[in-house]
Amino acid sequence: MSNPLADMDKPDVIFCIGTNMTECHPVAATRIKRAVAQGAKLIVADPRRIALAEMADIYLPLRVGSDVALLLGMAHVIAREGLMDEDFVAARTTEGRDFVEHVLEYPPEWAESITGVDAKLIAEAARWYAKAERGAIYYTLGITEHICGVDNVQSLCNLALMTGNVGREGTGINPMRGQNNIQGAGDSGALPNNYPGFQDVLDPAYQAKFAAAYGREVDLELGPTKVTALDMCGDRIRAMIINGENTVVTDPDREHCEHALRSLDHLVVIDIFLTETAQLADVVLPATAWAETDGVCSNTERRVQRLRKAVDPPGEAKPDWWCVSRIAQRMGLKGFEFESAKQVFNELCSLSPIYAGLDWDVIEHGEYHWPVPERGHPGTPILHQGEFENGRGIFQLIRYRDPAETISEEYPIWLTTGRRLPAYHTRTQTGRAAGIEYLLSEERLEMHPTDVSKWGLEDGGWAMMSSPRGEVRIKVEANDRSPPGTVFASFSFNDVPVNFLTGGGYDPITHTAELKVCPVRVEPV
Amino acid sequence: MSDNSGNGTGFDFEITLDGEKVGVRRGESLYEVSERHRKEIPTLCYDPRLEAFGGCRLCIVELDGARNPVASCTMRAEPGMRITTRSARLDMHRRVLMEMVASENRDMDVDPLSGYASQEMAVLLDRYDARTGRFAGARSGRSRPDDDNPFILRDYENCISCYRCVRVCAEQEGDYAISVMNRGFETQITTEFEGLLGDSACTFCGQCVQTCPTGALADIKALANADVPGETEKTRTVCPYCGVGCAVDLMSRGDKLIGVQPAMDGPANEGALCVKGQFAFDFVQHPDRLAYPMVRGEDGELHETDWDTALDRAAAGFTAAVENHGRHSVYGVASGRAPHEAAYMMQRFIRGAFGTNQIDNCSRA
Amino acid sequence: MNMPSDADLLAKWRARPAPLLPLLHEFHERDGFLSEESLRAISEDLRIPIADLFGTITFYHHFSRDPDGYARARVCTGPICALAGANELLAGLPNAQAMPCPGRCDEPIPVLDRDRVLCGTTVAELASRPSPLPPAPHPDVEECVFAHIRTPGRATLAGYRASGGYAGLENALRGRPDALLDIIDASGLAGRGGAGFPTGRKWRAVAEAAGEPRTIVCNADEGEPGCFKDRALMDYDPHAVIEGMIAAGFATGAMRGFIYLRYEYPDTLHILETALEEARDAGLLGPDALGPGRPFDLWVRRGAGAYICGEETSLLNSLEGKHPFPRNRPPFPVTHGYEDLPTVVNNVETLASVPHILVHGADWYRGLGIGDHAGTKVISLSGDVARPGNYEVPMGFPLMTLIDDWAGGVPGGRKIQAVTMAGLSGGFLAGEALDVTLDEPDIRSKGSFLGAGGIMVFDDSRDMIEVAHSAMEFFAEESCGKCFPCRIGTQRLTERLHGDGPPDIGAWIDEVHDLGDTMMQTSACGLGQAAPLITESLIRYFPDRVSRHVAQSV
Repeated sequence: MSNPLADMDKPDVIFCIGTNMTECHPVAATRIKRAVAQGAKLIVADPRRIALAEMADIYLPLRVGSDVALLLGMAHVIAREGLMDEDFVAARTTEGRDFVEHVLEYPPEWAESITGVDAKLIAEAARWYAKAERGAIYYTLGITEHICGVDNVQSLCNLALMTGNVGREGTGINPMRGQNNIQGAGDSGALPNNYPGFQDVLDPAYQAKFAAAYGREVDLELGPTKVTALDMCGDRIRAMIINGENTVVTDPDREHCEHALRSLDHLVVIDIFLTETAQLADVVLPATAWAETDGVCSNTERRVQRLRKAVDPPGEAKPDWWCVSRIAQRMGLKGFEFESAKQVFNELCSLSPIYAGLDWDVIEHGEYHWPVPERGHPGTPILHQGEFENGRGIFQLIRYRDPAETISEEYPIWLTTGRRLPAYHTRTQTGRAAGIEYLLSEERLEMHPTDVSKWGLEDGGWAMMSSPRGEVRIKVEANDRSPPGTVFASFSFNDVPVNFLTGGGYDPITHTAELKVCPVRVEPV
Repeated sequence: MSDNSGNGTGFDFEITLDGEKVGVRRGESLYEVSERHRKEIPTLCYDPRLEAFGGCRLCIVELDGARNPVASCTMRAEPGMRITTRSARLDMHRRVLMEMVASENRDMDVDPLSGYASQEMAVLLDRYDARTGRFAGARSGRSRPDDDNPFILRDYENCISCYRCVRVCAEQEGDYAISVMNRGFETQITTEFEGLLGDSACTFCGQCVQTCPTGALADIKALANADVPGETEKTRTVCPYCGVGCAVDLMSRGDKLIGVQPAMDGPANEGALCVKGQFAFDFVQHPDRLAYPMVRGEDGELHETDWDTALDRAAAGFTAAVENHGRHSVYGVASGRAPHEAAYMMQRFIRGAFGTNQIDNCSRA
Repeated sequence: MNMPSDADLLAKWRARPAPLLPLLHEFHERDGFLSEESLRAISEDLRIPIADLFGTITFYHHFSRDPDGYARARVCTGPICALAGANELLAGLPNAQAMPCPGRCDEPIPVLDRDRVLCGTTVAELASRPSPLPPAPHPDVEECVFAHIRTPGRATLAGYRASGGYAGLENALRGRPDALLDIIDASGLAGRGGAGFPTGRKWRAVAEAAGEPRTIVCNADEGEPGCFKDRALMDYDPHAVIEGMIAAGFATGAMRGFIYLRYEYPDTLHILETALEEARDAGLLGPDALGPGRPFDLWVRRGAGAYICGEETSLLNSLEGKHPFPRNRPPFPVTHGYEDLPTVVNNVETLASVPHILVHGADWYRGLGIGDHAGTKVISLSGDVARPGNYEVPMGFPLMTLIDDWAGGVPGGRKIQAVTMAGLSGGFLAGEALDVTLDEPDIRSKGSFLGAGGIMVFDDSRDMIEVAHSAMEFFAEESCGKCFPCRIGTQRLTERLHGDGPPDIGAWIDEVHDLGDTMMQTSACGLGQAAPLITESLIRYFPDRVSRHVAQSV
C-alpha cells in the first residue's frame, strides 16, 4: 500500500475495485465502514454485488475482466470535464499530454458497451473521485489476477496521477496483500528479478554487492517466474524446493501443475502438513508453524513486525530457515552457519537498503513502515510524498484487451473465483480449526436464480462445471450476488478443485494467472 | 497543530485535576485527561476505541459549580474546569452502583479465559468492597443456550447492559449484528428478531466477547481449555492469515495453545480481529501436523525418518541435479506465509548455492 | 380503497423528513402489526441495520409484533384512572391491555381503540367525544394561553384570525429577527415543559449557532402522568402553537419544524394536520412563509408510546429514527440537535404563549405573574378534587387556593392527604408542605419541583404505598435502560414498594435511601434523577405507613 491502514478512515472518496475486502481483509474493511459512517463517499466496482457494494454510494457492476475499459471511461470524463489536478500533473508527472489525447478516444458510452455499466454512473464516479479532497483507491486480486493485471494497476495509477490523489494522507493506490507475509517474501528477495530490498538483479552494482556478500558469482540475467518454471519442469528444471505452498491446489490448471511436479527428479517440500503438494515430494521436512516460530513479517502497509514463539513444535519440526540452511550445509556450502532467526533477519537488514535502519531489536514494537533507510529514521508510512521513487510519475497509455478466453456457445458462462471470510486459501489451516465448519462446510457455486432455471439446475442440487481444461462437480446455490451470466466459486475445498478449470492465460509481465475470468459450462448432473 | 499557545507542550489549555493544574488537548474528555494522570477512574461501559456512552455512571467526578457529579467519559474538558476524581461521596456512589450491578447478575467471578475484559466487573466489586447481597431482587437478562455457534457464549444472565458489545459491533466492526431490545430492566441484548448469531449479520469476529466486562459473552474455544493445567501465558505475535498484520496475544499453558486475544495496542489492528484471527488458531496443534522428516522409499511411499537421513537425501538430490543438468536445473519457491527468515534463506540458498535467480514466491496465485 | 403496497409506502415516505416513525405507523396500521417482512423492507429502504430497527421498535409500547396487536384496546391504568376503577374496566374488555396515562385525567377513563379515544368508567359508558375544555377562568385573573381557547371556532384558521391570531406574527415578520428575540427575552418567558430555561436565550443560542438548516421542534409528547394541558392547547388552539413555531423559525433562521406528538392523542393529530393544511394553503407555511423566498414548513410526527421521548434528546433521537436513548449533554440541542444541527426544542405551552406576547407585549406577559415571577402556568389538576381540569394560574399562585377555591376542594367531605408535583416526577407534598406557591423556587424549597405542572390530589382514604408503588412501577417501565442507576434503581425501588426487600425497617430505609441518593445524583437524565422523589417524600411524610408496609411484608 502506498498509504497506511490508519489512513483508510480519512479519505472523503473511496474507490474500491476488485477487492472483496469484508471477506478477505475484514479488519481493514472495518476502517472503510467507519469512513462511510463518518460520511465518506464509497464507489465500488465489482462484478458481484458484494457487501461493499451494498454499502456503496455508487456501485459499478462491471463485466468480469473489463476493468481497463471502465477506468479509461473514467479517465476520459476527468480529462474532458477539466477535472485534472493540473498543478500536480505539471509538477510531478510526464507524458500527460499524450495520455489526455489517448483517453479522449474512450468516452464512457464506449466503456458502457464493454463493461455493461451505465455511462452516467461511470461519469459520476469519475467526477466524485476527481473532485475528492482525499481520494483513495483500494484493490486486490480482482485487479491483478487477469491477463491484463498490470494494465489494470497502471490504469489505476493513471487515475491517481491525473487527480493528484497520491503522496498525501488519506489518498494513494493501495493493494491489499492477501497473505500474512507475502509482502515480506518480496522484501526478502524471494523474487526472480530482485535481490532483497527490491534491488534489481540486472543492475551490475547490486550484482557485485551480492556476489561479494554470498561469496560466489551470480547470474546476470533474470530468473524465470514460478509459472514459467513449472512449464520447464522435467526439461530444464529437474529439482525443486518448495516452502509452505500447496502449489497443486492454489495454482491454476491443476492437472498441468501436478504433471510438472511429478516430472521432477527431485522435489523437497518444507511444510507443516502433508499437503497435496508434499505428497508428491521425495523429501518432506516438517516445519515449525506460526505460534512456534520466532521471526519477522511485513504486512500490506509495509509495517515490519515480530512473530514470536509461544509453544514448542510437535516432534522434531524445525524452522523453515533452519531446514534450508542445513540442506546447504549438507551440500558442503559455507556461509549458512545460522543459529537463530535474529541472525538471519539481521543479515537481511544489512543487505537491504529499505531495512537499513532496522534490526531484530529495533522492530520490537512494530511501529516501522519501510523504507527505513538509516538508523533513527522514523519509517515511511506514506510513499511518494514530494517525489516518486523514479522521479516523475509516468502516465501509461493503456488499451483494453479481451480476457484470454471469452464466453462462447460451448462455454457460455463467466466463472470468477475468489475467497470467503471463514476459509483461508485451501483450508489447510482453517479447515483444521475447530468450529469453522459451522460457518462454511462445503463449496457452492453462486449463481443467479434466473441462470439456475435457465440452465435447468436446482438450488442446492449438483452440477457439473467444465472448461477446456477439465470439469468439477459442485453444488449450486441460487442467490443474486452474482449477476445473470456470471458465477462464482472459491478454490478453498479440495473436493471441488475449481483450479482444474482456470488458467486460460497469464499476465505477460507478472505471469499472474487469469484466475478471475474463466468461461465455463454448467450442466445438471 | 493543536498547540496554538506556543508553550511547546502540545496542550491547548489547563484544568485543575485533584488540585493540580494539568494540560488538556481540545476535545478531550475529563476521563481521558484523568487517565493520562493515572487517576484510575472506575468504569464498566468504557472502551477507549468506542464513542463514550455514559451508561454505567461509575466514572463520575466532582465538577466545581455542578450540583451533581458528572460522568467524566462524556464530559469534555473546558478551560478552567476544576474536578475531583476521588471523594467520600464519589466512593459511596461507586460502591452503591457496584452493589446494584451485582444484584442483577448470577455470577460475580468468571473465568479470565472468557475474554480480554472479562474481569472488569469482578475487579471493581473487589476494589469498592461491594456488599454483594444488597439490593436483592429480580435478575436481568435471558441467556441463550439455544445458540449452537461454536465460538461465542451468550450467557446474558451475567449481562449488565453496558452496550459495549452493541457498540463495538457497530462502531468498530461496522456489522450492526447485535442491538438492544425492550427498555429498562427488561433490556436485552439481541440480534434481529431474537435469532441466533449464525442467522444474523454476525461475522464472529469476537470483538463483543473481548469487550464484555462480565464474561456474559465469552470465548467458547478458550473456555474449553479451562481444565488445561498451568498458568496462562500471553505471547504477542501477528495473526497468520491475511496481509493486514493484526497483532494478537496468544494464550498458552505449557505447550498447549488455548486461545487468542486481540492486542488492543496492535499497531495495525488497534484491537480488531476477524473470525480467522480470533478463532482459527488451533490448526497449529492439529494431529495432522508433520512432526518428523519423511523420505520417499523404494516402495514409492513416504516414510518418517531422522533429520540426518532427510537432509542428506535433500542435499544429494540438488547436488545430483547440478552435476547432471547444471546449476539452472534447480528452482526454489518461497512462502508468503512463512517469516522473512524463511524467504530470505530460500533466496540465499538459490543465489548462494547455485548463483541463479531461479527463485520466486507464491504471490502469483 | 386499495391497500397500499410496501413499495407505495416506501416511495411515499423515503424522501420526506424524519420518515421512520410515520412509515412504521403506516405499516402497523395497514397490517395490524409490524411483520418481519415489513421491517426488513424498511431496513433496506432507509438503510437502517435490521438489528437496530428491530431493537428500536421493541422500545415503543404501541408497536406490536403480534398479528392484530394494533387492534387490541388499551386502557389507561395511570394513577388517576386507577382511582376511578381502571383495572375493573380493563378486566371487562376482552383482549385489552393496560397503558400508561394518556392525558385524559380530567375525564377518566380513556381507552385507546386504534385511532380513537373512548372515555367512560364502565364498558357501557365508553364513547368517543371531544376532549374537555379548560374550566371557566377565575374572574380576577387574566389568562394568557387560555385567553381565547373557549371561543368557538378558535381551532380554525378563520376563527383564530377572528380572535387576533397571526397578527402578532405578521407584525414581527415585518421587523428584524433581533427585535423578536428582544421581545421574547424581555417577556421573561421560560420553558413550560418543566426545565424552565429562558426561551429567549434558547432561541438566541440557536440563531447564533453554526450549521444549517436549523430546526424548530415542538415537544408535544406529553407523557407525564397527570399532565394534559398540551392536549387542550392543541385541540382547541392549534394555530397558536403553529404561530409560535413560525415566530421561532423567523427569530432563529430555521426553515423547518416538527411537532413531535404523543401517540396517545389521535384526535389531536387530525386537528393539527387540518390546521397545518390551512396554514399552508394561506401561505403561512411554505416557500415564502418568512418573507419572499424564505421558506418555513412544519410536519407532525407521532411517537409510539415511550415516556422517555418527552426528554428532548430522546425525542430528537426518536425523530431521527434512532434508538430513543437520551443523548449525553453537553453538547445541547441548541448547537447539536436534530441531525446534529442547531435546534430549538420547546414545549407546546411555551410556543402557544408566544402569539399572545407578540400582541400584548413583553411587559404585559411579565406582569401576569405574581411578584417577581413572570407570566402564567397551566396546571393540570386531577384526582380527588371537585372540578379537575386545566387551570392557567399566575406564576407564584398559592396551591391550596387553586385546589380549594378554583377547583372546589376535595369532594365527599374528605381531607387532602397528599398531592403529587410535576405529574409524578416531583414526588409527593403533604401536610405543611402543601402551603406552597406555584413557582419553582418555592416548590424546590420543599424538595420537589413544578415541572410541566401536573398535580394529582389524593384524599385521606388513599393508600399512599399503593400510589407510590404504581408510580415507581411506571418509572421502572419507562426507564430507557441506558444508565445503570435508573435501570436497576427503579426496579429495586418498585420491588421494595411491592413488599420485597429487607424485612428490617432500618435496613429497608437504608437501601431505599442509598438507591435514591445514587439515582438522584448519578442518573444520566431527569427520569432517574426524579424517580426517587417518590420514595424520599413517602418516607418523609408517611413514615408510619412505611413502617407498617415493611412489617406487613415479612
